Amino acid sequence: MGISKSKIKNIIIAGIIIAVGTGAIIWYQYTEKFGDTGKEKSEYTISAINIIKEFKKNDTIANKKYAEKIVTVRGFVTAIELADTTVNIKMADNTGSYVIFAFQQQHLAEAKSIKQGDNVSVKGSCSGGAYSEILETEFVTFKRCALNN
Amino acid sequence: MKKTTLIVALFFAGASAFAQKKTTTSGTINFDATTSLDALPKAENKTVVAALDTKTGGIAFEAIIKSFSFANPMMQGHFNSVNWVDSDKFPTATFKGKITNLASVDFSKDGIYAAEVSGDLTIHGITKPITTKGSIIVTGKAIAAKAAFTIKVEDYGITGKAIEAGKVNKEPKITVAVNFL
Repeated sequence: MGISKSKIKNIIIAGIIIAVGTGAIIWYQYTEKFGDTGKEKSEYTISAINIIKEFKKNDTIANKKYAEKIVTVRGFVTAIELADTTVNIKMADNTGSYVIFAFQQQHLAEAKSIKQGDNVSVKGSCSGGAYSEILETEFVTFKRCALNN
Repeated sequence: MKKTTLIVALFFAGASAFAQKKTTTSGTINFDATTSLDALPKAENKTVVAALDTKTGGIAFEAIIKSFSFANPMMQGHFNSVNWVDSDKFPTATFKGKITNLASVDFSKDGIYAAEVSGDLTIHGITKPITTKGSIIVTGKAIAAKAAFTIKVEDYGITGKAIEAGKVNKEPKITVAVNFL
């Protein structure tokens, strides 16, 4: 007594569905790109001074809280730095510790429109922070940023 | 941590030497581990801390690993995972070295100078000596530096199926571009 033809047919159909489904997932993962940060929802909104404070207090805890999360940061721009062919926006406290924002490709023009002293709101993916042995200050970095004003 | 701080402090020792120290917090490092089988392992970090001591030729870099920005979310996840650079455990990469042909570089005169750099590169908690060639561009008071080199990921304890399968280059190209302030 063997497996009936209808069962074999069902097994083949199920196999095809699984194969196509798996292929579609792999194709999606390989072709997916990060979306426009400007359209993403922030998990946290905080001032530059306060996020620097949190990292200075305990960067292990702060990294767990903020790293790879979309965060909106408001503060005064203390420096605009040339980063290869584009610019980064920097907000520092009075000790030299700072948070720095590298902008997403489609938002590079926004970064270039910002001036030192501007009070701005920037949304981006927090890359975390660390103590700089070179500068002897805490630094917090962001990638894929967009102006949120 | 304190020991490393002391080493860096000694490296840039002395008030007069400190005056020659140029820094930036917006250095750029490109990481390219693409192969003919996979174009995804490619990223850029634009928030690298760098310092150059024009008197001693001392040069140093610090990069937060999670600042490497990939176009593809899955690849960024793989890169940071325990199987690759394990960025939760080893959150930074550093380089501390020296321009070995400092006499050939005149920081007071505009020009493009060939530079040779040797030092220690730490990735994934493993430190290895590297030597590379680059260029120093002096324009007025501005100093820029560029270099490109390859590393063997195996030297830094980074292995895995994707690397063995040829989807990730065993010797990725690292390109550094810095505009010192």
